[in-house]
Amino acid sequence: MKFGVITEHQPSEARVALSPASAEQLQKLGHECVIQSGAGAKADFADEVYRDAGVEVLDSAKAVFDAADVVAKVRPPSEEEVEMLREGQTLISFFYPAENEELMKKAAAKGATLIAMDMVPRISRAQKMDALSSMANIAGYRAVIEAANNFGRFLTGQVTAAGKVPPAKILVVGAGVAGLAALGTATSLGAIVRAFDVRPETAEQIESMGAEFLFLDFEDTEGVGEGGYAAPSSPEFREKQLALFREQAPEIDIVITTALIPNREAPELWTEDMVKAMKPGSVIVDLAAEKGGNCKMTVKDEKIVTDNGVTIIGYTDFPSRMAKQSSTLYATNVRHMMADLTPEKDGQIVHDMDDQVIRDSTITHKGEVTWPPPKRENPSPAKPKQEKKKEPTKEEKAAAETAAFRKQTQQQVGLLAVGTVLVLLLGTIAPASFMQHFIVFALSCFVGFQVIWGVAHSLHTPLMAVTNAISSIIILGALAQIGSSSILVTILAALAVFMAGINIFGGFLVTRRMLAMFQKS
Amino acid sequence: MEYGFTTAAYVVAAVLFILSLGGLKDQESAKRAIWYGVIGMAIAVLATFFGPGSGLWLLSLILIAGGAAIGMVLAKRVQMTQMPELVAAMHSLVGLAAVFVGLNAHIEIGRVAAAFAEAGVAFPQPTYGPLGDAAQAVADGFRGFAEIVAKKTAVEVNILRVELALGIWIGAVTFTGSVIAYGKLAGRVNTAATKLPGGHMLNAGAAALSLLCLFWYLGGGGFFPLLILTVAALFIGYHLIMGIGGADMPVVVSMLNSYSGWAAAAIGFSLGNDLLIVVGALVGSSGAILSYIMCKAMNRNFVSVILGGFGGAGGPQQEVEGEMVAIQADGVADALKEADSVIIVPGYGMAVAQAQQAVSELTTKLRDQGKNVRFAIHPVAGRLPGHMNVLLAEAKVPYDIVLEMDEINEDFKDTDVVIVIGSNDIVNPAANDDPNSPIAGMPVLHVWEANQVFVSKRGSGTGYSGIENPLFFKENTRMFYGDAKESVNSLLQKL
Repeated sequence: MKFGVITEHQPSEARVALSPASAEQLQKLGHECVIQSGAGAKADFADEVYRDAGVEVLDSAKAVFDAADVVAKVRPPSEEEVEMLREGQTLISFFYPAENEELMKKAAAKGATLIAMDMVPRISRAQKMDALSSMANIAGYRAVIEAANNFGRFLTGQVTAAGKVPPAKILVVGAGVAGLAALGTATSLGAIVRAFDVRPETAEQIESMGAEFLFLDFEDTEGVGEGGYAAPSSPEFREKQLALFREQAPEIDIVITTALIPNREAPELWTEDMVKAMKPGSVIVDLAAEKGGNCKMTVKDEKIVTDNGVTIIGYTDFPSRMAKQSSTLYATNVRHMMADLTPEKDGQIVHDMDDQVIRDSTITHKGEVTWPPPKRENPSPAKPKQEKKKEPTKEEKAAAETAAFRKQTQQQVGLLAVGTVLVLLLGTIAPASFMQHFIVFALSCFVGFQVIWGVAHSLHTPLMAVTNAISSIIILGALAQIGSSSILVTILAALAVFMAGINIFGGFLVTRRMLAMFQKS
Repeated sequence: MEYGFTTAAYVVAAVLFILSLGGLKDQESAKRAIWYGVIGMAIAVLATFFGPGSGLWLLSLILIAGGAAIGMVLAKRVQMTQMPELVAAMHSLVGLAAVFVGLNAHIEIGRVAAAFAEAGVAFPQPTYGPLGDAAQAVADGFRGFAEIVAKKTAVEVNILRVELALGIWIGAVTFTGSVIAYGKLAGRVNTAATKLPGGHMLNAGAAALSLLCLFWYLGGGGFFPLLILTVAALFIGYHLIMGIGGADMPVVVSMLNSYSGWAAAAIGFSLGNDLLIVVGALVGSSGAILSYIMCKAMNRNFVSVILGGFGGAGGPQQEVEGEMVAIQADGVADALKEADSVIIVPGYGMAVAQAQQAVSELTTKLRDQGKNVRFAIHPVAGRLPGHMNVLLAEAKVPYDIVLEMDEINEDFKDTDVVIVIGSNDIVNPAANDDPNSPIAGMPVLHVWEANQVFVSKRGSGTGYSGIENPLFFKENTRMFYGDAKESVNSLLQKL
């Protein structure tokens, strides 16, 4: 099949849905690749680079649509692009079906299949094609860089000859993919980072990134909604949350808000009075600007400075601002989607509507709208709350130890007593000559136990081989009998000597061979 | 004077043997300690030549030389993957030798008794102490072991009979048991656990029969009860080991090792030879400890292993959620390129596929790239205690990066990539999580705590034990299907 990629129609969009690396992987799946000339230019992928990767470069979007069976792009298609679709053709892109229903119906009427990268379900198997996450990751990173760019100080604290510089304090609201990426970036730049999320189980992830989790003491914090996203919270909870932020506002230098709830306007978390309370020169990056912003003063796609000197950044195109990186990741996501669509790796697309990932991300198929996907059991990765085990107190520990010690003593004394009685009993009936040997035997067992416990586990095989060799000491018995005047005894003894001989030499030699192999690095 | 010299030589030999076992505490001292064992054996054998009862020096030397030739060839030719077979085969020889020596002791008693009867002198001796003149005259006709027998009192002779019967019995069990173990390990006998109809009742019956025969024998039954006892013991050895499956082999082999020691000790008692007793006790306790360690590593009772089969599960096993995700060599290679720390967990599958050389090359390659590569060895990995260590040593993997379970289990959570090659139960998280699992409570390697786990495995089946392994379904696990050797070789090309 032919896989084609076209140039994005919005002039501000710099991303492209194919990278030279993903093109090579797609060819391994048995697909031929075509691309519209100049599609990768803004992402630093020249036509030449694509040609080197075995991609055919075509002149226009129309040519790509005509040639390819599967067309991929980044942003939702325009009217004209949908016009160009033909029956049986597949288009892969972000689509946001809830906002673009008309366009979706139109594509369905044309008999085309639409795969929306934003509808990929959030299950572990589909992580490799979760383009929303890869874009959110970039947005989180870029948000910190953008903030640092507009912030007049170092992020990291320094002590220089010219004086001490305090580290910047950064607050990240919402610890989703973007939030965590922001956390990681900010901590590695040396800032003091705090983070908040309504889902208490994110605390562990936040702390693992080296940031501080702002803890909100509130009963019933059921913050997790469908698909692992945050759910809207109750008014009481919201009040408490805002109070926490209000407390933080005066000392925070940079705020990065990432709180989004699916299919809703972004919740207001950073109110006007908090902005007023911030120091001049502080920066707010509102990653929710697309959906109205977590701060209502945010202006979408713009950078503004408030009266008290706080910069508010409302850009919505962070991934596009890092076009090469985001194109590489997006192209890989698309490539994984293609891999799932090509199970036999033979270049034949099999659109398996029983596969959950493919089913959920397909929004039109065979002339019908297949959106929204059927509801499934909540695949949220939220873990059940684990009850903390009670640590035993010192006294309890001591008591347990004493009890264990006592039990051990009792056991040992019991065993010794039984053993002693048995030996004494044996002594009353057995003759002295036997008991002399018995002493030797008992002591040898003890020596054996002591010695063998010290043997390294890694040398257990040589141990077995060497014990094998020395247990052939039975040859002594045979040698003492071989001189007997009875022929039968001599024959049996001779056989025993022979077998023991094999064992002695075989055992020692193989042990030596093994031990010689053990070499230190 | 001669006898004093022999005993003194035995003391020296015993000390040398203890040192040679004690030297196995680490790899370097072991290389020296092995020579102590060799010298001890040489001293013991030489001293016996000068000791009482020996004769036919030339024949003895020829026989030893013949055995030596075979032993040397065996030791040179054996593959390290075949070590379990070799060890089992050697156990069987010790067992059979014990049976022969025991039978000889019986024959000698008979001959002595006959000679005394002919001379009209009472046997066994009525009192302990110097013999009367008439008895002394008869006893002088014997040499070595028979001479000792001639001086024994009735109680002593009875004890002697118990000892030799015990020696024969243990020796016979060891012999057939080891032969079957050898057959199973070498793949010549079906490795699955099979029992004759009647199961353990047959074993119990044979054991009871042996005990009866022992009393009969003591009561003057002559050779016939001893023969039945031997046959019963041979049967027990055969049937017991037939009923034990492949993965329990480490326990079986160490148990047989222990038995071969006890057989030597029992023979030592009957011959009145202290060195035999000392060595038998050393070997016997060594095998016993190994069996104990193996059982502990499987969290199973020794008896339940020997009687075969897993302990009853307490209820249905937990359902395994998720799916197995396969991966190709490219993916594994990419992950390895990124990784800083790698732990490899080898199992019997690596030995079967003869993949240790390839694994060693992989290790060298990764280490050359500055990565921290280590091996984690579970005590029951393989078919012999310490089997994996020897295989890796043969493939020239340095022993200081090969770690035991207890040493490395804490480190999995800080590890980037874990590669599991041909092991299954020893990395099964169900042992920790699922109280109903047949292996619940068994200490396992916590591989799933690592960032990524790759499992090299032939197919998606459950393997020998038939226990579902939730590790394969974990989110951070990828299944790398295929023959272990080919898989690792394909990895090598990509790195």
